[in-house]
Amino acid sequence: MKKNRLFALLLAAIMLLSLLAGCAGNPGGSDPTKDPGPGTKDTPKPAAPVELNVVTSYGGDDGNRKSYENAVKGYEDATGNRVQDASGTSNEEWKAKVLTDFETGTEPDVLFFFTSADAEPIIQAGKVVDVATIRAEYPDYASNMRDSMLAVASDGKNYAIPSSGFWENMFVNTKVLSDCGVAVPGPDYTWDQFLADCQTIKDKGYTPIACSLFEVPHYWFEFCIMNNGTLSEQLDIPADAGDAVGQKWAAGLNDIKDLYEKGYFPVNTLTATDAETVQLFGDGEAAFLIDGSWKVNYFVDNHGETLGDYVISYVPAKGERKASEAIGGISMGYFITKKAWDDPAKREAAVQFVKHMTSDTVMSTFVTTEVTALKNGASPAGLNPLQQAAADANAYITGVIGPVQDAVSPECKAELFANVQRVVTGDMTAEEAVAAAIALN
Amino acid sequence: MGKKITPAKACTYVVLSVWALTTLYPFVWVILNSFREKGLIRKDSFSLPLPGSGFTMDNYAKAMDRFDFANAYLNSLIVSVSVTVVVVILAGLAAYGLVRYRFKLRGVCYSLIMAGMMFPVFSTIIPVFRMEAAWGIASSGNRWLSLLAVILPQIAGNLCFATIVLMGFIESVPIELEESAYVDGCHVFQVYFHIIMPAVKSSFATVAIFSFLWSYNDLFTQNFFLRVPKEKTITLLLNEISSQAGVDYGLMAASVVLIVIPVLAVYVMLQKHIIKGLTAGAVKG
Amino acid sequence: MNSSSTLYKKKGPLVVFLVPAFLFLVLYLYYPFVQNVINSFSDITGLGAPAQGLNDPWWANYATLFTDPKLRTALGNTVILTVCTVVFQVGVALILALLVDSIRVGAQLFRTLYFFPIVISATALGLMFNLIFLYNGGMLNQLFSNLGIIEKNIDWKDTSHFMVTMFTPVMWQYVGFYFVILVTGLNNIPQDLYEAAALDGCVGLSKVRYVTLPLLRNVLCTCLVLAVTGALKVFDLPWVMFGAGMPQDQGWLTGTYMYDQTFNRGNVDYGSAIAMLIVVLGVVLSNVANRVFKPRNDL
Repeated sequence: MKKNRLFALLLAAIMLLSLLAGCAGNPGGSDPTKDPGPGTKDTPKPAAPVELNVVTSYGGDDGNRKSYENAVKGYEDATGNRVQDASGTSNEEWKAKVLTDFETGTEPDVLFFFTSADAEPIIQAGKVVDVATIRAEYPDYASNMRDSMLAVASDGKNYAIPSSGFWENMFVNTKVLSDCGVAVPGPDYTWDQFLADCQTIKDKGYTPIACSLFEVPHYWFEFCIMNNGTLSEQLDIPADAGDAVGQKWAAGLNDIKDLYEKGYFPVNTLTATDAETVQLFGDGEAAFLIDGSWKVNYFVDNHGETLGDYVISYVPAKGERKASEAIGGISMGYFITKKAWDDPAKREAAVQFVKHMTSDTVMSTFVTTEVTALKNGASPAGLNPLQQAAADANAYITGVIGPVQDAVSPECKAELFANVQRVVTGDMTAEEAVAAAIALN
Repeated sequence: MGKKITPAKACTYVVLSVWALTTLYPFVWVILNSFREKGLIRKDSFSLPLPGSGFTMDNYAKAMDRFDFANAYLNSLIVSVSVTVVVVILAGLAAYGLVRYRFKLRGVCYSLIMAGMMFPVFSTIIPVFRMEAAWGIASSGNRWLSLLAVILPQIAGNLCFATIVLMGFIESVPIELEESAYVDGCHVFQVYFHIIMPAVKSSFATVAIFSFLWSYNDLFTQNFFLRVPKEKTITLLLNEISSQAGVDYGLMAASVVLIVIPVLAVYVMLQKHIIKGLTAGAVKG
Repeated sequence: MNSSSTLYKKKGPLVVFLVPAFLFLVLYLYYPFVQNVINSFSDITGLGAPAQGLNDPWWANYATLFTDPKLRTALGNTVILTVCTVVFQVGVALILALLVDSIRVGAQLFRTLYFFPIVISATALGLMFNLIFLYNGGMLNQLFSNLGIIEKNIDWKDTSHFMVTMFTPVMWQYVGFYFVILVTGLNNIPQDLYEAAALDGCVGLSKVRYVTLPLLRNVLCTCLVLAVTGALKVFDLPWVMFGAGMPQDQGWLTGTYMYDQTFNRGNVDYGSAIAMLIVVLGVVLSNVANRVFKPRNDL
């Protein structure tokens, strides 16, 4: 029994020590807030400090969390308001929480959320205020944004002010390529050349394509569809599997199946997670990876020593598409809820908050190479090599369009991607997969 | 008895030790990897991280580099201790009532509790959220109310399990003692507190441990109700920062260790109640 | 055990015993679950969204339960898991509990160590097992190829291996749980009974067979019930390791399938119907278990 007491005391002591260490290490945040971001110059301090409830996706372990927290602090210092921040990381559960909050009347005052079909429930319920109404009171609201790039909801109005967008393109591991004697693809990369390169890479013992068909076939899907159509037609949605668009989708799926049957995907692509296959790429065992702008910081954090091995290149094209055409856009934005708008004190605070977060200066701390709606563009400081490579590649991009998967209902999207693994193994034909998905749209 | 070790005894120890190794090893593995540089974990996760060859305290520094770290421990403790205490009290009462009394709805009640144990938490979470939002305790912005919003469903969730387990134990207590107490003039509450409870003390300890543990580790409910950093529990906080990216194994390992320490402390403290002989004296003819 | 003794004739105090607990249960379990039942008949498109009228026909989801091939896979896998759980988890736990009961030196240590796996959350355990079973450089593959047993890495999560990979961690994790319950049950057996039996020459294995096991009957029944219900509900560890039906829709379990339908697919009403199925199965199976184990059924 004495031993137990001792053991328990030891554990308690460890806990106490870690508590103290935790406290000591946090004199109000261990990242020095050297410059808490610019305050908004034209805000007079309001009469009494307002408490603003904010929900964004910049919480948890989002790559931009620190920039976000700094920006919020800047706002608080400038206006004297306090922000109750309940941000999370963007995933299905977070979406469900947000939607439920609106349902039960506990929604926040400012919300940073998707502007695609995901936002339809709250827009249709009239729970958020459209930009035109806000501009009636605050004419300079989002004046630094290009209106043409604001997301348009199903009723034709704009509701959200965009922050930084994203792009999707091809990452290549130059070390693997050089070892196989394959040239780094340029903006004129053809599909046939790509197939030949993959075979060379495979013969050399590497994995050509890093992709988990089980978890994330999303990016290959988008580009394969574009390869069977044109950039401008990317957002067409099939009414059923038999029409032209449906056939385009089926052709795209069959392209993926072709790659699978040739063995260009990892051996365990149907049982690996995205994290595992990205690791293959990062470790220099795979050559090609289609991913998005958010992954740049991921490589900086997790594969810093081999950062020089990666560059951004172009997804091979066939048919009418050019390899210099990519997927991108702005999919999330700041909404002001009706709840906050109807409260005069909060109205002012909310508007100031959004203006602050979408100001040129604050945006520059978030944005590196992504698309923005800013009229003057963002001016990020100090790009790391991979970001520089992305910027270089982006210079040759001739066209960008949003992903069609964001334009269909979440059920349709989920069904479609869950069926990819069945299509590639022949368990289901591409047409059946498309039909099953469209039925849920 | 004799000090010689029979083959049977030796065999016993071998079997027990083998299993102990399998349960201990993962824990040791997690601790070792929490001190390992994150890049090395995937390549070399099963060796010893010595200083100079992969040893680092970075993972712990990163895990504790959050605004509300100590607060989170406090929140976890508040929630789990409250849940445990209430569950033990209520489940004990309910189990006793169901075991000893004969009444018409007895079978129905038992089936209800059994059914209650089957409800997956995700199917009840949204109606519960709506209900608590209507009462004003969910998403209220007030830390104590939010913690309460988590405590209440967790109590309900653990009650079914606790009641079932306690029923099993109470049933094994011979009834003669209670009857003789009745003859001596005790009424039923005195019987419960002075005879039943001491007799199944170790069962209460068991139920307490598991309730504490499940409340502590219950990510789902906590995730749904606790939004603002100062409300979050330690499991939530550390899970957030370590599970999304999926590859910072060092950070995850450090998070696991930090989460696990209080629970082990509780278990070790309660464990001494689950020892042989405590009950021997209680049942005399 | 005659429980109709005079002490318990007056039913008044019964209310005090039962009401507080049932109040919690009604509010937080039954009422939401009734909501769930209603949901299973309605047409709900997304989590948190209101119902848009009844399904057409209203029993549509339940009809799907019979025709859905993925659900059938899930049920099949869960049945296998239940059997394995009962035989291995409870079985091994029983053996360990009996063994630990028979020794004095080190009993405390073993009791502490066996508890460890339950303390570590499923996410962390999933992480560890993922690293063990990882295709590229996981512990098993590394070990086997170093020992020369295999030439190419084994994909532990593919269709020919996934059963073992899925079931082993789940079963291993909860042995400690049943172990603790059984140890507690063993402790409740008074020493005097063993001594009396010893006087009659009943020791060792026959002591176990004729004294210990019968007295453990109630606790064993509890363990059985918990095992069955646990297998029907298990979610954390399989989800972290296998996700949505890996491999290729063959790895579903009732718990993970329900979660996927409700949260990832937004098919909330169907998810509710699956939840109903899980509950009904659980209640039926546990009643069966009770009847089998306690024939003088006073329940």
